[in-house]
Amino acid sequence: MSSKKRLVGVVPLGEVPEIALKVIAAHISGYLNLSVQILPPLEHPEYALDEKRFQYNAGIILKAFESKRFKDYDKVIGVLNLDLFIPIFTHVFGEAKQGGKFALVSLFRLRKNPDGSPSPSSLTYERAAKVALHELGHLFNLLHCREKNCLMHFSGGIQDLDETPIYLCRYCSTFLKDRLFRQSDNEESLKKLDKIPLNLLSSKERFRQ
Amino acid sequence: MDEKMSIMVVDDEEIVRESLSQWFKKYDHVVETSSSGFEALDKLEKYPFQLLFVDIKMPGMDGIELLEKVKTEYPDSMVVIITAYGSIESAVKAMKIGASDYLLKPFKPDQLSLVMERISHQKRLLLEHDYLKGRLEKISRFDNIIGQSPAMEDIFNLIPEVAQSDSSILLIGETGTGKELVAKAIHAKSRRSHLPFIAINCGALPDTLLESELFGHQKGVFTGATQARKGFLEVVSGGTLFLDEIGEISPKMQIDLLRVLEEKKITSIGSREPVDVDFRLISATSQDLGKGITDGSFREDFFYRINVIMIDIPPLKKRKEDIPLLIQHFLEKYGHETTKKVDRVTRDAMELLKRYDWPGNVRELENAVERAVVLSQSRTLGIKDFAFLRSSPAPLSRPLSLQEVEKQHIQQILEEYDWNVTQASKALEINRVTLHKKIKRFNLERRP
Repeated sequence: MSSKKRLVGVVPLGEVPEIALKVIAAHISGYLNLSVQILPPLEHPEYALDEKRFQYNAGIILKAFESKRFKDYDKVIGVLNLDLFIPIFTHVFGEAKQGGKFALVSLFRLRKNPDGSPSPSSLTYERAAKVALHELGHLFNLLHCREKNCLMHFSGGIQDLDETPIYLCRYCSTFLKDRLFRQSDNEESLKKLDKIPLNLLSSKERFRQ
Repeated sequence: MDEKMSIMVVDDEEIVRESLSQWFKKYDHVVETSSSGFEALDKLEKYPFQLLFVDIKMPGMDGIELLEKVKTEYPDSMVVIITAYGSIESAVKAMKIGASDYLLKPFKPDQLSLVMERISHQKRLLLEHDYLKGRLEKISRFDNIIGQSPAMEDIFNLIPEVAQSDSSILLIGETGTGKELVAKAIHAKSRRSHLPFIAINCGALPDTLLESELFGHQKGVFTGATQARKGFLEVVSGGTLFLDEIGEISPKMQIDLLRVLEEKKITSIGSREPVDVDFRLISATSQDLGKGITDGSFREDFFYRINVIMIDIPPLKKRKEDIPLLIQHFLEKYGHETTKKVDRVTRDAMELLKRYDWPGNVRELENAVERAVVLSQSRTLGIKDFAFLRSSPAPLSRPLSLQEVEKQHIQQILEEYDWNVTQASKALEINRVTLHKKIKRFNLERRP
């Protein structure tokens, strides 16, 4: 790990299960072959609480990220156990600015199944990993994809999220590979990127094992 | 959501504008934002947004008022209304006015996705509808002949009637009124429509060449006749022959054509063998043939032969109510050809175009619109885009002096720059003081 370039930081905001952070980091590292580091937790984002909605404003948290010291990281993903929203939507599972540096993933609504029953932890963390990879895709400028069998397809609800695969379609994987290639200034990672099979259908199976 | 759209988000709250535009950018849509209805209308004037997301509650002009204006002035733009819980009545009102859909704030992310899918579907249906409408119009009307004035309606009614017979038709009208289009429409509606339509401009060919073109020639009958060639009267075989500017042909050619019309036979130059011909003759002229008959340059018997049915096509200045329709047609035509999104003309410019006399008729109007579209930087054509019309030189009865030319040129440039002396002096490459002196010396004033 130490020989790799520190590219992506995963940072908890408030209390977040360590296992969730590890699952997210492992997926980013395993699927995208990027260096990942889990960072010390940041304070609970009380400043972003909307008292009328009892939810946390994702836009405000992302803005606050900009003043933090994350200069060693190309991208930073904040993980929370809180209910996130952006003003137009009732809620969001995650949020990222297209082509930006910071993204958020909320575990809050991932713990329940579409019928309201609690979901097993393994499924919750699988969902969190999907949301993290999806938002990371936006940070690398990937758009929402019309292909349903693609991680970048928009998921409006838990059921959609469960039906969304954890891999990218051919078009998005080519695009992401190109983005990663362009953003990398490290000879070694350039060589490695060339070998990444981003569109491995088997990666779905690999995740489930 | 299949295809990329141009979307404008209109909301006085920055956070809403930002959130929605970020969301649309994730679908690769082109997104613009406006903080008020006035700003939105300004932007619509310059660029045709396909879809607007409009908040109902806004200071100044509210969402309903903006929706009404958009639906009146830009009916092709679709509008989705965003409203808060508790203002359902406004949402219902918006739907009645013509909103495509509405969303209650805050909405679930998948609701926005559903709305976008419905919009996409509506857009596809509208495109299909426009395409089919266009096809239908082409079938039922007369391609490219545009008009809704009583005079043009009479012509539209006349075309299918006269198309059924084989009688010769004489089209009378000033240059640029669309005589050839009417001739083509008659041919298209006739039983000869599957056979050739051949148009010859008699005024453009010298007599000997016209004779050779019409009657054909044998090999070697004159210098350059290296091989035998069939004339158009024979080639047209069963179709329609359109002779434009028939008033220009010589008396000898009039006799030759008269004989052909009576005998339905031709003999090519250098041959003695007559050949049977079958065609329908449509002639056209912008001259007064009656005067030609009086002064002896046009044969009376030939006139009656070609003038079994006469259709008088009015000049554009006598059917000014057709001008907006024609402009819209040419905007679509050249917008398509140049791929520029120019689809509107300001009221002032429309008034100017209606006031103008159009000596070159529809052809001149078409050229004016084409020129304005090509040079325009905006989606809307204004008076400045048609400034060249006001400077069209009038026919001269005597040569102008150098001073008169200078005076006219300065006046024209001043009008073009809306009497902005600084800009006009730059265009004329003289300093402002000199320009002021010249304005005073020539007694120049702003034209009404």
